[in-house]
Amino acid sequence: MQSPPSVTAEYFAYQRRLRSFTQVLSSKASIAQTPKVAVWTLNKAKLYRYTPVVPAQKRLRIPLLLVFAIMNRPSILDLRPGHSFVEFMVSHGYDVYLLDWGIPGYEDRGIRLDDYAMEYLPRAIRKMKAESGSEVFSMLGWCIGAILTTIYAALKSDEGLHNLLLLTAPLDFSNRSNVTFARWTDKRYFNVDKILDAFGNMPAEMIDYGAKALKPVDNYITNYCKLWDNLDNPRAVEAWHAMNTWVTDTIPMAGAAYRQLIEDFYRNNALIQNKLRIRNQLVDLSRIRANLLTVIAEGDHITPPCQSEAILQKVSSRDKEVYRVPGGHIGIMAGSAAHRTTWPHIEQWLGARSH
Amino acid sequence: MSETRQENAKPFDPYESFRGMRDKYLDAMSKAMIDTVNTESYAQATGAMLDYCISASAPFREALEKSILQGLQQFSLPSRQEVAALAERFTNLEMRLDDLDAKLDRLLIAFSEQKTEPAARAEPKHSPQSGKRA
Repeated sequence: MQSPPSVTAEYFAYQRRLRSFTQVLSSKASIAQTPKVAVWTLNKAKLYRYTPVVPAQKRLRIPLLLVFAIMNRPSILDLRPGHSFVEFMVSHGYDVYLLDWGIPGYEDRGIRLDDYAMEYLPRAIRKMKAESGSEVFSMLGWCIGAILTTIYAALKSDEGLHNLLLLTAPLDFSNRSNVTFARWTDKRYFNVDKILDAFGNMPAEMIDYGAKALKPVDNYITNYCKLWDNLDNPRAVEAWHAMNTWVTDTIPMAGAAYRQLIEDFYRNNALIQNKLRIRNQLVDLSRIRANLLTVIAEGDHITPPCQSEAILQKVSSRDKEVYRVPGGHIGIMAGSAAHRTTWPHIEQWLGARSH
Repeated sequence: MSETRQENAKPFDPYESFRGMRDKYLDAMSKAMIDTVNTESYAQATGAMLDYCISASAPFREALEKSILQGLQQFSLPSRQEVAALAERFTNLEMRLDDLDAKLDRLLIAFSEQKTEPAARAEPKHSPQSGKRA
């Protein structure tokens, strides 16, 4: 057994750790580094095409469009070099496009889910088709992005969507006891109009608090203890730093879209009951015929598994699969095990259907 | 040999037992808090708190907005609403441009198809003739 270190040495080591701890907390890591080019813009939204690294003859024929949520930055899909879903897919020969919704300002408070799903998304898809030269495409929607892609898939079923991937998709709100957000936003307690009248958009800080308050101890205390404990492990610090950079990069949500999310989804559960109307059209899920892969995070507190299961019974797709992964809402795609579990599964499923 | 053994040996950590205790405590706290936030009373309490905060700050917010608006008018500067309306018009303009871009794409495709079609149709007629001539 070694002798205990002297008090002075221990003090200096503590000081050094404290310095690195503060440095990590007060700086931003370089995230979203995979080379890309903006090929289309509309208002704040941008469509990026990632620079292919595989020769054209070896690339897969069908392009892949990534659609992330509207209240977070999509950089989580391309977190850091060596641990990025985008980089992984590009290196496997996919022609990858990313739709970045941008940061809504006060002037965007009137943007509804209708606009995102029926105005922005179809236009971005048209541009992607023109860029890639392919009339068919695959689309991956994550979280609220999965709601938008599902709406699109149901309303524009003849527009060439070949493969639909839904990640932690909050589509079914019937099991209210398991969905904490549904309880918090109940009309008896939560006045959505009052908030939006005051702020225009749903403020980023409130969204951030809502997500973190689901697991308050983990997000406000344990998370920082983990960093402190791993300060001597550069790889762990790098991963923590990148994730923290993404987590703290919060954005507001367009007011009208937020109101719709609360009223039509959390309160009335309209989508899964085929009662949702978008631009006066009824969203009939049975019109979805694309191949469907639903990825469910078993330990998801934001979108519990019960919210993503029912879609499989509602669609007309002949080729459909549900893939369950241990992990949380974000962890299944950006956690340390993602490159061994979720990414290869998605790649294999998509690879078999992208020729 | 002894050096390698020394390098591999775990250094003395005076906080290890404290860490174990801390983790157990945090785990228990985490479970308790997850249960707490998932209750009706928590939803009711946070809803009421939020409602109160917004109601209480409303008069100040309105007064501030009014005075900013007056200040902007004094300096002949556009208000927030006016800038927002302008931004909306820009977005509509962008959409029109995007529509035009789509139409142009379709025209270009149709034009290139028209260009290739007669050539393809003409090929079987002309090539044997040109072959004969040669």
